[in-house]
Amino acid sequence: MTRLTKLRESQFAGAAVVALVASAIWQVSSGLSFVIPSPAATAEAFVQNFADPRYLSDIGETAQAVAQAFVIGTVLGGAIGLLLGLSAAARTWLEPLLIAFNGVPKIVLYPVLLPIFSLGGSKIVMGVLFALFPVLINVAVGVRTIPPVYWKLGRTVQASKWQLFVHILLPAIRLPLLTGVRLAISLAVVGVVLSEFFATRFGLGRVVLQAYSHGEYAQMVSTILLLILVAFTMSVLLWRLERRVR
Amino acid sequence: MQGIHLNDVHVHFDHPSGITIAVDGVTQQVPPRSFVSIVGPSGCGKSTLLAVIAGLQPATSGSVDVNGRRVTGPDRDIGVVFQEDSTLPWRNVRENVEFAMQMAGVSKGERAAKAAAAIELVGLKGFEHSYPATLSGGMRQRVALARTLALQPGVVLMDEPFAALDQQTRIFLGAEVRRIWEQTHQTVLFVTHDISEAILLSQQIWVMSYRPGHVIDVIDIDLPDERDASIVSSPRFNELHNRVWASLQKESMRGFQDVETA
Amino acid sequence: MAVRIEPRQEVPAKHLTRPRRARWRPSQGVRSAAASAVLLAVLFVLVQIGVATGALRQTGLPVPTDVVGSTLGLLGTGAFWSDFGRTCLEIGASIAAGCALGFGAGIVFWKLPLLGRVFEPYLVSFYAVPLVLFYPMMIVLVGINAGSIIILSSVMAAIPLALNTRTGLQGIRPVHLKLARTLQCNARQTLFSIAIPAAAPMIVAGMRMAVVYALIGSIAMEFTTAQNGLGYRIRYLYETFDNKTMFAYILVVLILSVVLTVLMALVERVLLRGRR
Repeated sequence: MTRLTKLRESQFAGAAVVALVASAIWQVSSGLSFVIPSPAATAEAFVQNFADPRYLSDIGETAQAVAQAFVIGTVLGGAIGLLLGLSAAARTWLEPLLIAFNGVPKIVLYPVLLPIFSLGGSKIVMGVLFALFPVLINVAVGVRTIPPVYWKLGRTVQASKWQLFVHILLPAIRLPLLTGVRLAISLAVVGVVLSEFFATRFGLGRVVLQAYSHGEYAQMVSTILLLILVAFTMSVLLWRLERRVR
Repeated sequence: MQGIHLNDVHVHFDHPSGITIAVDGVTQQVPPRSFVSIVGPSGCGKSTLLAVIAGLQPATSGSVDVNGRRVTGPDRDIGVVFQEDSTLPWRNVRENVEFAMQMAGVSKGERAAKAAAAIELVGLKGFEHSYPATLSGGMRQRVALARTLALQPGVVLMDEPFAALDQQTRIFLGAEVRRIWEQTHQTVLFVTHDISEAILLSQQIWVMSYRPGHVIDVIDIDLPDERDASIVSSPRFNELHNRVWASLQKESMRGFQDVETA
Repeated sequence: MAVRIEPRQEVPAKHLTRPRRARWRPSQGVRSAAASAVLLAVLFVLVQIGVATGALRQTGLPVPTDVVGSTLGLLGTGAFWSDFGRTCLEIGASIAAGCALGFGAGIVFWKLPLLGRVFEPYLVSFYAVPLVLFYPMMIVLVGINAGSIIILSSVMAAIPLALNTRTGLQGIRPVHLKLARTLQCNARQTLFSIAIPAAAPMIVAGMRMAVVYALIGSIAMEFTTAQNGLGYRIRYLYETFDNKTMFAYILVVLILSVVLTVLMALVERVLLRGRR
């Protein structure tokens, strides 16, 4: 009885059932339409891709751009968020513009970036623009909602600016910060791959679009799944960390 | 069979480490149109007992009758004022006061009239269009009180309604509740851990013991009907206070030790 | 011994704090708006000077006043309105469908916690997972048309709203549900008069995200591949080296998103009036 309830309540088991059902639907529908590659064909393409040095270098290209975009975006977003959270003047000047910019489909700026940052740099900048905002917003809101008593405590123990930052500010905003970082990873992937959809010589985005135009749907789906899988795994890991930190 | 009749009410809570006996065989009655308070240390089951009367918590055994009807679940004829702020932040004062009547299907015109009267009764006239966010904790409890009174329930249960407020506001609001009761003479059962508050408000006080919770003393408050906050300085008040305190002291100590060693 | 100091008829309102009327402070908002306008104007002037003097030649930026001119010129062309209408249709349909879907799912996940927990990891990560990347799969299945964009954008919009709705409903203060019970509210009353209004701040925040996601999703997918729409047109103009018109279209997208953001801020203000 208790084992049954445990199993019933196990989120993992439930989520796995959902995944199984989804695969079953996929299998059935692939039999109905020739444009849908079967799970087996997709898996095969998925495995074969890793034997292809060209594909591996595409992975490397995309991974590198995503990593750079993620790091720069997180640091920049954290810094601006901190500024916004701590300074009323910064809020007055920047907040409306940043909120407005957050709602902008940033991909339309890609043609503007291209002549400035060239082909290789533009997709990183696009990734940064995508990754920036969740960190920025979460840090700014997190800092603003730190209970004032924490600052008072810091003052009474005469903590230095650095000590305030490390021992009060960072722990106080750790949850929103983690949430922002989690979103930033996936958004860095979106920014980079969308840019690669547009114009690039290397990268997984190019692989997807090329596979699409050649009608190699198994290749296309397996690459999309690889991207989704990486973003999914990262975000689930960070999400679990978030829940543990809480 | 008007008023509240408690007949051998038991409430047990099962949990992995055993059974907690929250209420252990309470048989008492609140006469109609009277004001009775329950005092007791924290964790003595007084709020549980109130929840049973409100129909929010089933009794393990025993029964409760309110105005001749067996309590089997929540009933709009039993008004409850909660300890926590229960105002609805998306409604202004008037809309909050009308809420209970609206849920009960009272017509719009009647609602407006009764709400206006209730708002006046609790002293919130002029605040009809304010939202709870702009009101103090004490004023929000007045709103909750007005909401309950506007429905004109047969009995009113109050579960430490002023516990979250500061001492001054508390005495002040206590006197207000007494004044309102003098006008309405509704049957009231009031739960508190504050002895002065209980004496100031009530005609009778039940002292409850720490686990297992049962009524160990019933004290009639023979103070004049017309009273206000100044009565706390009268000699008779002090006598009564000492009397209640003596009953309560042993129990409080027991509860205190239990918590400390837990 | 009736001690009676004064007959207290009522506590006059003036003894209590005056009701602070729910007045909105325009000063901060106006200051912010003014500051933003100043910043934008400075940027505009700097780019104008930079382009005019040739200092920004390498960036390929056109003269800002030219962009404004060609944007105004666009408004007279039928082709523009066709693109604009298509994009608005996609965004509008995705917002409507996404909100209905997300709101409904949020309520179902709240009512059936087991289902909510099972879907939670998917929702939490799909919210972050690049759903736009499914677009090539969608166009294979549905075709290159508004349908595939609307389907994916709706899902993208629905997810944050579903999560927020569920979180908001789970965060209802227990005393409000207790109140509903003592007043013998039926299920419909509890949902519509207590639960949804109580969760409204989270729900409205979710709606704001839904609108942003619908917009970003629709435009990004148009940009990837489409046959019509603002995003598609920007890419097309880029590939045909029509820089001036492209910038005009970009400006239109920027204005459209700012208008949507402001609109949602107003909606929030109206729906959450009186709350802090």
